[in-house]
Amino acid sequence: MPDKADDVRLVERIAEGDAEALGELYDRYGRVAFGVLYRMLPGPEAAEEVAQDAFHSVWRQARSYRAERGSVRTWLLAICRNAAIDWRRTRGKRTEREVTIDAAAELLSDARVDERVVSAMRAERVRAVVRELPLEQRQVLALAFWGGYSQSEIAARTNTPLGTVKSRVRLAMNKLRERLEDER
Amino acid sequence: MSTERHATEDLPAYALGALGEAERDIVAAHVDRCAQCTRDLAQFEDALYEAAAIGAVQVEPPRDLRTRIVLRHRGARGREGANWAARIAEVLVRPVPLAVPAVLALLLVVSFAIVGTNRQQIDTYERTLAGVAAGRVVALAPTSPNPDARAAVVIPDQGRPYLVVRLPAPPSGKAWEAWVLQPGPKAIPAGTSTSGDVFVLFLTAQLGAGDGVAITLEPVAGSQQPTTQPILLVDRT
Repeated sequence: MPDKADDVRLVERIAEGDAEALGELYDRYGRVAFGVLYRMLPGPEAAEEVAQDAFHSVWRQARSYRAERGSVRTWLLAICRNAAIDWRRTRGKRTEREVTIDAAAELLSDARVDERVVSAMRAERVRAVVRELPLEQRQVLALAFWGGYSQSEIAARTNTPLGTVKSRVRLAMNKLRERLEDER
Repeated sequence: MSTERHATEDLPAYALGALGEAERDIVAAHVDRCAQCTRDLAQFEDALYEAAAIGAVQVEPPRDLRTRIVLRHRGARGREGANWAARIAEVLVRPVPLAVPAVLALLLVVSFAIVGTNRQQIDTYERTLAGVAAGRVVALAPTSPNPDARAAVVIPDQGRPYLVVRLPAPPSGKAWEAWVLQPGPKAIPAGTSTSGDVFVLFLTAQLGAGDGVAITLEPVAGSQQPTTQPILLVDRT
């Protein structure tokens, strides 16, 4: 498991123009970043293209990274997710712009987790916390995260009042934060 | 003390990226000037992305993706690029007439106008590399003006290293020549090919630990020293 202070030093080296540090960041998180993109995009070619763009964004934005705004892993994965949403909006064919409710039904997958990123014990704990959320809360998280949909779009797609969607998002996110933050 | 309300209600949806544009801008502006909401947002996002890391598909990225990412940025801020240029300048023992690079560049640009759009060739190249079962794959960096050229040296656990190359067929009377770049610096001829599209070129010279590899355009019989600038290059394998 990468050390958080080491991660920050890597980003500082990237900000100084050290391409090998970018490679080391890839060694730590490239696989999970590719996995996020693979889930959000229509195929491996798109995931590969967006992964290269995302690491280029890391290169360009390294100087603006602020540790108090979250971990390096979170920062990197957020860059990947935003790049994937942009790709779908601007480059994807019409059918690729949308993620079906079924495809994004769950925040988690059953696949074995990459232990270089999250330890098996921690992964099991995260799974348990997510499983404790009611199904409708898990679904709004998944649709927003993997599908890139806003609360209004989710309300329209699932034929649910907007206020209910907002409430589910709030409850689910608060529980994730409370349960996972406590145990860090 | 500020009397501005914290973004408590909308912060979870903001962390999730689920707000509409107008609401998002309001929360972003508040977070920028509020230390407490910055801390809260970091906690929401760290929890969410930890869960997402577990939700990601477990799939192996292409073997040479790391190399391509690193090579794209190596020297981008003016540090290592100078080393490469210096190394190759030392290796080039014969002066090259000024007109030759310009003519070759023109030929290659015309060729790549065709090659660059050929998705089938790209797929063949990537499938070939993806099929490497045991060994290391090190990508060579294309040098301007040939950004679409691709090559990677495959160093199998057993057997001779070889290049997988995606280049157009060389002009008549010319060949692609591979070089092993050794400390010194020395460029050792390592085989030629007159093939085009996607082809494999076994290295005929010993590739030592840390040696570089380059490809240049040479007369069809090959050269003893490079006579043109490299089309593809990696300074260490």
